Amino acid sequence: MAEVDSELIEKLKQLIITRLKLADMTPEMIETDAPLFGEGLGLDSIDALELVLGLEKEFGVVIPDAEVGRTVFQSVRTMAQYVEDQKR
Amino acid sequence: MGRTAFCFPGQLQERPTLKEDHPLRRDPHFKECVEMASRQASFDLLRFSFKGEEAGFNLKLQIATYLLSMVHFSRLRAEGWVPDIITEHSMGIYAALAASEAITFEEGLWITESIGRILEREGASSGGAMASIVGLPSGEVEKISQDLNGFHLSIANYNGSKHFVLSGEEEGIEKAIDLALSKKAISATRLTFNMGLHSPRLSVLSGEIRALLKKIEIRSPKFPILNHWTVRPLRREEIKDFLSQEIGQPVYWDRCVEKLIQEGINQFIEVGHGATLTKLIRWIDRDVEAFSAGDRFSPLCHSELVSESKR
Repeated sequence: MAEVDSELIEKLKQLIITRLKLADMTPEMIETDAPLFGEGLGLDSIDALELVLGLEKEFGVVIPDAEVGRTVFQSVRTMAQYVEDQKR
Repeated sequence: MGRTAFCFPGQLQERPTLKEDHPLRRDPHFKECVEMASRQASFDLLRFSFKGEEAGFNLKLQIATYLLSMVHFSRLRAEGWVPDIITEHSMGIYAALAASEAITFEEGLWITESIGRILEREGASSGGAMASIVGLPSGEVEKISQDLNGFHLSIANYNGSKHFVLSGEEEGIEKAIDLALSKKAISATRLTFNMGLHSPRLSVLSGEIRALLKKIEIRSPKFPILNHWTVRPLRREEIKDFLSQEIGQPVYWDRCVEKLIQEGINQFIEVGHGATLTKLIRWIDRDVEAFSAGDRFSPLCHSELVSESKR
């Protein structure tokens, strides 16, 4: 598993909670490697669009299409890896 | 003082999960609704939630959606919630009408089942499909349906600035999904429907549905129900026309929510098992409160949550 910045992981968990208005959740409740869609957090395509917008606004990172989105939104860790890759 | 809209969702897209420890199963309204559906429609909601019976899947999903909306409505009312207005999406109209007492619970169940059977027959004979397109603006989605001229595609749901549902012939829907993905949609997927609901081609069924509804006497809604075509409350005498025409007309959910916010509604409660409408409302306006009764069990009893809407 690739190493990613733990501060970034925390920020992304907070982004998920804020963008998706998951008022009852805290970052600790989101597992870094758990699937975001289907099982795990149970997100759907409407949530995906919120996260696309959130990543653009908060991190200046663009998800160009559904294929990239599928890879990026596998877990918080894959999101963090993508953000780090795009920032390099 | 907050003003509250109850929002009745359209057909669930997957079997509802009602595991043994699901809090709903301890609810007396749930037991009552399950028993009534079993008696009247020979429909076993619990069995459907577990077993892989695929025959008549969409019809069963429609009945399950209706029942679960009515269960959640009963829960909300028992806890003191009162809607200032009711709004609905697609087939959510049947539960919306029953909730507003324009029809009885039994009549709503009968209408859901009867129209569901007509749609099931239509799907089997004429085919059709639907797809959800997320992440493209309306102009792009309209262009997709125009570019695939010949497959009778049309926008069936206007759910938000970048959320649409397309309806039409199955081959056209598959091509539309590919086109949408090539235009960088964030998601383009088939829905479970085996017919092109809310498309002009289904208008041929309006007469049959109108004839069916002759058996029902509609009363004035106790709570106003917003008509998403006119964005005015449905009048009693309009309801049968609305029911018979809506399967051939698009759903303007975005327009509906925007109108309600303009009118001062600041709290939207989805009266159903999922949270699709809640998420669509979040996209339309992040500042209004929206939640699904199906996602909240114990918090619904919290006095601070209830206080704003209790009368």
